[in-house]
Amino acid sequence: MNSWNSEFQQLTSRLKSCLSVFRAVLREIFDESAYARFLARNRLSASRAAYGEFLQEHEVAKVRRPRCC
Amino acid sequence: MFEPIAPGPRIGHNVGAGAQDEKQAELKMPKSLRILIWLAVAVLGAFALATIALHRGEQINAMWLVVAAFCTYALGYRFYSKFIAAKVLALDPQRATPAERLDNGRDFVPTNKWVVFGHHFAAIAGPGPLVGPVLAAQFGYLPGTLWILAGAVLGGCVQDFVILLFSVRRDGKSLTEMAREEVGRLGGVVAYVAIISIIVILLGVAALIVVNALKNSPWGAFTIAMTIPIALFMGLYLRRLRPGKVLETSVLGFILVMLAIWGGQWASQTPQVAGWFTLTAPTLALLIIIYGFAASALPVWLLLAPRDYLSTFVKLGTIALLALGIIALHPTLHMPPLTRFIDGSGPVFAGNIFPFAFITIACGAISGFHSLISSGTTPKLIRRETETRMVGYGAMMAESMVAIMAMIAACVLQPGTYFAINSPAGIVGQAPETAAATISSWGFPITAAEMHSLAQAVGEQTLYNRTGGAPAFAVGMAHIFSNSLGGQAVMAIWYHFAIMFEALFILTVLDAGTRVGRFMVQDALAHVWKPLGRTSWYPSILATSALIVGAWGYFLWQGVKDPLGGINSLWPLFGISNQLLATVALCVATTIIVKMGKAPYAAVTLTPLLWLVAVTFTASWHKMFDPNPRIGFLAHARQLAMVPATAANSRLIFNDRLDAFVTGVLIFMVALILIESAFLWLSVLSGRKQAGVKETPFVPSGFATEEQG
Repeated sequence: MNSWNSEFQQLTSRLKSCLSVFRAVLREIFDESAYARFLARNRLSASRAAYGEFLQEHEVAKVRRPRCC
Repeated sequence: MFEPIAPGPRIGHNVGAGAQDEKQAELKMPKSLRILIWLAVAVLGAFALATIALHRGEQINAMWLVVAAFCTYALGYRFYSKFIAAKVLALDPQRATPAERLDNGRDFVPTNKWVVFGHHFAAIAGPGPLVGPVLAAQFGYLPGTLWILAGAVLGGCVQDFVILLFSVRRDGKSLTEMAREEVGRLGGVVAYVAIISIIVILLGVAALIVVNALKNSPWGAFTIAMTIPIALFMGLYLRRLRPGKVLETSVLGFILVMLAIWGGQWASQTPQVAGWFTLTAPTLALLIIIYGFAASALPVWLLLAPRDYLSTFVKLGTIALLALGIIALHPTLHMPPLTRFIDGSGPVFAGNIFPFAFITIACGAISGFHSLISSGTTPKLIRRETETRMVGYGAMMAESMVAIMAMIAACVLQPGTYFAINSPAGIVGQAPETAAATISSWGFPITAAEMHSLAQAVGEQTLYNRTGGAPAFAVGMAHIFSNSLGGQAVMAIWYHFAIMFEALFILTVLDAGTRVGRFMVQDALAHVWKPLGRTSWYPSILATSALIVGAWGYFLWQGVKDPLGGINSLWPLFGISNQLLATVALCVATTIIVKMGKAPYAAVTLTPLLWLVAVTFTASWHKMFDPNPRIGFLAHARQLAMVPATAANSRLIFNDRLDAFVTGVLIFMVALILIESAFLWLSVLSGRKQAGVKETPFVPSGFATEEQG
């Protein structure tokens, strides 16, 4: 019974870890992580003005990033 | 004295299993069992490949392609990429990457390998691996499938992997910078010209694919037109209402796009609205040119960024859905392994298997464009050198799998249907009955009634002469989706979903590509007159945007006016320029390997390089000088010159000569970098020149200490 329990716990923790990776991947692709880093770096809290500043800073990198064929 | 770097909180920094877990799991398994498992994978892969290659006269199941692909990728990754990592590149887990040394939380950020993998895959996956295999299916499924597998494992994955690692070892430098530093000034110039050329030709061809998919299709045109206000709304929503909530905004955008697809059906069935959105190819081309110019001048946050998010969201979801659909339905391939068109007389594009199959499928096997991504954002996110293998080699394998799925989507169609959709009117005739009779006479029976009912099932007036690959892919995808989910009743919705999906990310490539091209031109013009390089100076923005849009717009217009459908001449031109860029990347990679003192292992990049040289130079020669007017640009121009001169004829003759000239210039430039590289290799090998690469000096990694501790 105990071994079943530990197996189940292991499985759920792996599943959780997979989900957190998946979430992190999406947040990175969709620039949410970049925004969070921007807020942390500049010690700002999320706001319209802060996002405007982030977009301004991020724009240069974004437009120079090619999208493949 | 080195001080371990405190990484600080990073999103996606410590999630997932590390390299050590992987190694530990491997060590737990007895060696004999591991050998047995890999032997089983090899035997299964060989059996699947033999089934694909040796079955004649019988239809096979698509799962054989999937199994062959999985086994080939598994073996390639486990053995070949490991060999390259250990022996050729000598990946060093102790060496700090630029993401660690230069960590600024903005451009350089040490990021979890799975996150970088996803980010890199999202950047390299575009319309290419979907369209190329569909076009190459005219030879049958065998040549394209074998090239996708061999090309990826031995060429494309290797290119992406080595360029990524070399960029990581040079503080994330671009391909052009590496070419200039490691090969010479000429190398830098050639890389620059190749990149600009490929961007221009790519954008022209991509726009042509959209035009061919949307011409006389009110449903499709309405849906795609609606994506523009949807993207603008998303931009405003993101900026004003929910700042920073990109995923939420993308989900909202996706729902709106689905509503637009549903609304498209209404539009196509309402005579007045249908009239507004029933557009001819030239009108659509003009609209796309105007859109391209406007999009490149609008603020990034308003159109480009939200459209990019939306297209990525739809792209990742659809690729996953297609994979599930293929596994759930495991359809039968109706296309034979080889068709009669291996002799070069194909209606989709003219030319023999060698070299044309190998330039038609670029992305999915080997794509020079990937070297720009591998030396762009990705190297600045890599946390440890050892992770370049999974990101560079692994992400290209995933892209190659997308190409296999596209091949399956094309080959589940009845061959008659496939050729009716992909053949231009200039080859099969304008009238449905004539086209059906011509295609049936090739041995692929189809009737006008069958094509008419298929067009009705997908909500179109006609599916004839829709060259470019996108509509055939959409019909195949709709077939797979509707058989797995919803039945024939929703086939039209799935078809327009597929068209929207392709058009959406082609238009994103158009936006982003125009801007990238504009910046490259501005960077170059800054050497002539400094203000021209200022990216915020409006006269310069407008002039350089017009230059880039005018260049790809010209190719688009040329394709629209081409009686052979445009794809016949433009797709090979795109394939040649993309593969030439890969040639440049592999030249740079081989040079660095030789200069590293690893010449005995240079074959890993030299072999795909020599193959690409053979392919691109032969294809270019054919495209310029082949006496067959359907293949050779100059022969076609001569043929046109024999009929009485008209304004339209003169324009076509000029276009042919221009295409031949562009091909010639590209080949000449690449020949120069090849000669320069070869001289450099000989000088280093003979000892006349001292070997030595321009890598960033070694700095020990804090992450290595962290893991050891």
